[in-house]
Amino acid sequence: MFGSPTLRQLAPLLALVLGALALQQLLPQYFLYVGNLLMMYVILVIGLDLLIGWSGQFAFAHIAFFGIGIYATTILGTRYDLPFLIAMPVAAMLAGAVGFLIAFPATRLRAVYLALATFAFAECAQWVARTWDSVTKGADGLQIPPTSILGYAVGNDQHAFPVVAIILALVLAATLYLQRSRFARSMSAIRESEHVASASGIDVKRVKILSFTLSAIYAGVAGGVYTLFNSFVNPDILGVAQLVLVLTMLVVGGSGSIAGCVLGAVLIGILPEVLRAAPRSMLVWQEFFYGLILVLAIMFMPRGFFGAWQAWRDRARHAADKRDAQASQDTRLRAKASTEASS
Amino acid sequence: MSALLSIDGITVRFGGLVAVDNFSMDVEEGRIHALIGPNGAGKSTVFNCISRFTTPAAGDVRFAGESLLADPQYAIAKRGVARTFQNIELLQRLTVLENVLVGMSSRVPGYFPLLPGARRRRIEREAVDAADEVLALTGLTGYRDTLAGDLDFGHQKLLDVARALSAKPRLLLLDEPAAGLRNREIAQVDKLLGELTARGMTIVLVEHVMQLVMSVAQKITVLSFGRKIAEGAPAEVRANPEVIEAYLGKRAHA
Amino acid sequence: MSTIIVQAVVSGIVTGCIYALVALSLVIIFKTTDVVNFGGGEFVMVGSFLALFALVYLGVGYALALLLAAVAMFALGVTFDAVTMNRIGGRLYTRQTELVPTIVATIGLSYLLKGIVRVVPYTEEPRRIPPLFNAPPIFVGDVVIQAQDVVIVVATTLIMIGLWAFFRFTMAGRALRAISQNARAACLSGMPVRTLRMVVWGLSAGIAAVAGVLFAPKLLITPDSGTLVMFAFAAAIVGGFTSLPGCVVGGIVLGVTQNLVGVLIAPQAISVTPFFIIMVVLLLRPQGLFGDAIALKKV
Repeated sequence: MFGSPTLRQLAPLLALVLGALALQQLLPQYFLYVGNLLMMYVILVIGLDLLIGWSGQFAFAHIAFFGIGIYATTILGTRYDLPFLIAMPVAAMLAGAVGFLIAFPATRLRAVYLALATFAFAECAQWVARTWDSVTKGADGLQIPPTSILGYAVGNDQHAFPVVAIILALVLAATLYLQRSRFARSMSAIRESEHVASASGIDVKRVKILSFTLSAIYAGVAGGVYTLFNSFVNPDILGVAQLVLVLTMLVVGGSGSIAGCVLGAVLIGILPEVLRAAPRSMLVWQEFFYGLILVLAIMFMPRGFFGAWQAWRDRARHAADKRDAQASQDTRLRAKASTEASS
Repeated sequence: MSALLSIDGITVRFGGLVAVDNFSMDVEEGRIHALIGPNGAGKSTVFNCISRFTTPAAGDVRFAGESLLADPQYAIAKRGVARTFQNIELLQRLTVLENVLVGMSSRVPGYFPLLPGARRRRIEREAVDAADEVLALTGLTGYRDTLAGDLDFGHQKLLDVARALSAKPRLLLLDEPAAGLRNREIAQVDKLLGELTARGMTIVLVEHVMQLVMSVAQKITVLSFGRKIAEGAPAEVRANPEVIEAYLGKRAHA
Repeated sequence: MSTIIVQAVVSGIVTGCIYALVALSLVIIFKTTDVVNFGGGEFVMVGSFLALFALVYLGVGYALALLLAAVAMFALGVTFDAVTMNRIGGRLYTRQTELVPTIVATIGLSYLLKGIVRVVPYTEEPRRIPPLFNAPPIFVGDVVIQAQDVVIVVATTLIMIGLWAFFRFTMAGRALRAISQNARAACLSGMPVRTLRMVVWGLSAGIAAVAGVLFAPKLLITPDSGTLVMFAFAAAIVGGFTSLPGCVVGGIVLGVTQNLVGVLIAPQAISVTPFFIIMVVLLLRPQGLFGDAIALKKV
C-alpha cells in the first residue's frame, strides 16, 4: 500500500490517453465538449477532495483558485504571449501561491468559521474579477484565443480532447503518488484528530498550509484546462453555483477516494446535458435536481456512491466469509457425527 | 542520578482558577512514576504542560536538561516524549496499523513523495516492520487492518498506548490507561508496563486504578487542588494521612 | 454631517433590522444545534413569495398573509429538521468532522427551495409586495422615513423582545439554552432534545418569513433573493454568531456600513461589503463583538 503506484493502477491512465486519441476522430464535437468538461471537473473535484476529504478542512475558496487559473492562463497567453505550456503552470503556481497566502490566516480558524471565511474569500474574488476592468474586462469577460502546444494547434474541442486527457492522466498519476505518501497519511491524521497528530510529531499547521496550496494548484490546473476548450470567460464562472456543483460532485461520488471523485464528476457533470436533451428542455429544473440530489445523497449515502459501493462489497465479503466458516463447521460436525455413528 | 524530566514550580491558571499551583516533580530515568490525586486535582493539566498542550504561567519543564517550553507542540515527540489521551483520541477512520504509523511521524524521514522509489519503499518497509513490532508487543497484531473506530474499548485504549510507543519515546506519558478496563485487561496493561520498564523506558502514569498504580509504580506523587501533598514510595504514600484525607475527606480520616 | 449621510445612516438602520432578523434566524439554529443554515436566505425568499401568493391568489389581508407565510415556513422548517437533519443528526453535535454533512444538507436545502420556486411560472418576473401602509413618509428635517421603515424597526424590536422572553422565561427556551451548553447532558437529563430542535428550526424559518414579508416591499423578490443571507451571515459574525443582541447590533452595523460604502466609496462596492466584513472580523476577532471566546476542545 505504500511506495509507488502499481502498474495495474497506472495502466488505466495510459488507456485514458490512448482512448482519447482514438475517440477524438470518432465522436461528434458535442460529445468531445462534454468529455473535456467532465475531465476538467475531475481535476477540480480531486483538488477539492484533497482539502475536504483528505485533510478534513472544510474550505470554500476552491472556485476562486479555479478562476485565478482561467484568468491567469488567458492573460499570460494574450498579453505576454506566453505559450500554453508555460502559461498554464505559471497560472497554477499563482493559484497555489494565493492558496498558500490565505492558508496562513485560514488555518487559525476552526470548522464552520473556516467555511464562512473562505466562502467570503471566494465571493471577494468574484467581485474583483467583475470590477477590475483593466485586467479582466469586468462583467463583459475575456475572449480566450485558440492556442497551440509545441506546434499542435488547439482551436476546438476535437483538438483539445487528447490534450485534456493527457493533463488529466498526469494529474491522476500525481495523485496516486501523493496518496501513497507519508504526507497523505499526515493529512488523514489531522482530519481525524489534530491532538493525536500533533502529539505524534506532525506539524499540523504546516500540513494544513500545504494541503491548501496543493488543492489550489489542482484548481489552477483545472482553470488552465478550461482555456483549452472554451473561447470565453466571465466572472460568472467564479459564482456560488460552480462551487455547489463541484461540492455536489464530491458528495455524490464519495470524498476521500480518487474513484469516488471521478464517479461524482461524471454523474453530476453530465446531468445538465441530460436535462437539456430531455424532450422539453428541463434545464430550468437544474437547481432543483442539484438540491434534491445533495439532500438525498447526504441522507442516504453520506460517503457517496463509492462509499456505498465499498460498504456493500465489504458486507458481501463478510457474509461470504461467514458462509464459508459455517460450511466448514458443518462438514466438521458431520464428519464427527459420522465417526461417532460408525464407532 | 539526575532526573530525565524535571518540572520546576509550574503554575497554570484558567481565568481566575488556579489549576496547578507551584508544582514541582522530578522523574528519574527508567522508572514508572505515578501521578495521582482526586478528580480535578490538575493531573491532566500537568500532562498538558509537559506535552505543550498548555503553557504554564510560571515555572519550567526540562527534559534531559533542556527546557521544553520553547518548543511548539509537534516538536515534543521528536525530543522523545510521547503521550496518550484520557478520553481516547484515535484516528477513527484509519486502520490500527496506520494509527501506529502516524505515531512514528516524528522519527521516520521522507515527507513528500519525491524520493526515488526504491529508497522510499525501503523506508516504508522499515516503518511497517517497526509498527508490526509495536503491535505484537501490545497484543494488537490480530487487529492490524481493522479500523480503529471499530475496535472495542479495551483495544482502543491499547492502541492509544501503541501509537505513543511507536515513536520510541524516552519518556512515555500515560493518561489513565486503565480507566474503564476490566480486570483481565488491567492485568494486560500491568504486564505491558512491566515489559516497557524492562526495556529501560521512563513512564509517567496518571491513574485512578490504585491496584495498577501500587503494582507498577516505583514512586508516587500525590496532587490535590493543584498542589503536591505527598511524594514517595507506594507504601509511604499509602500510609500518609494527608493523602487519605484528600481522597476520603476529613471525617473518614478522623 | 450632510443630509445625504444622515439619510444613509437612517435607512441603513432600517435595512440593518432586516439583516438582524435573518441573522437571528441563523443564530438560534447555530446556538442550539451547531448547524450553519446556508438555506436561511431561501427561507426568507420562499416566505415572501408565500405571502405574495396569499395576497394575490387568496386575496387575504396583509396581516393574514404574513401569518400564513410564517406558519407555513414554520412547518417547512420543522419538516426539514425532522426529515433530513434528524437523519444525519445522530452522528453530530459532538465531533468537528461531522460539519460537512450538515453544511452540505443545508446547501442542498437552499438549492431545493430555489429550484422549486424557479419552476413556478409566476416567479419568472421579479415581483414586489405592496407596502404595509400607504401612509405618507415622515420628514425629520430633510431626512425621509417611510411608514414601512417604522413598521420594520418596530417589528424587529418586538421579535427581539419576544425571543429574549422565550429563551428567558419559557420552559422550552430554558431547555434550549441548556442544550446549547451541553447537548449530551441535556439529552441524558430527559429533555425532549429532538422536539426542541424541530421547534428551533420552525422558529427560525418563521422569523425568516417575517423578515421576507417586511423587506419585500423595499426591493423586488426573485428566486435569487436568498443571497441576502450573506448580509445576515456578516451581521451574525460581527455579533459573535452565538449572541442574540449581537445579531441586532451586527445587523445595524452592517446596514449602516453598506449604505455608507455606497455613498462614500462606490455603489458597486456594496455587494462585496458583507464578504469583506466577514473576512476581516474572522481574522482579527473571530469571537465577534459579543460572542463567547471560542473555546478549544479539552484534552
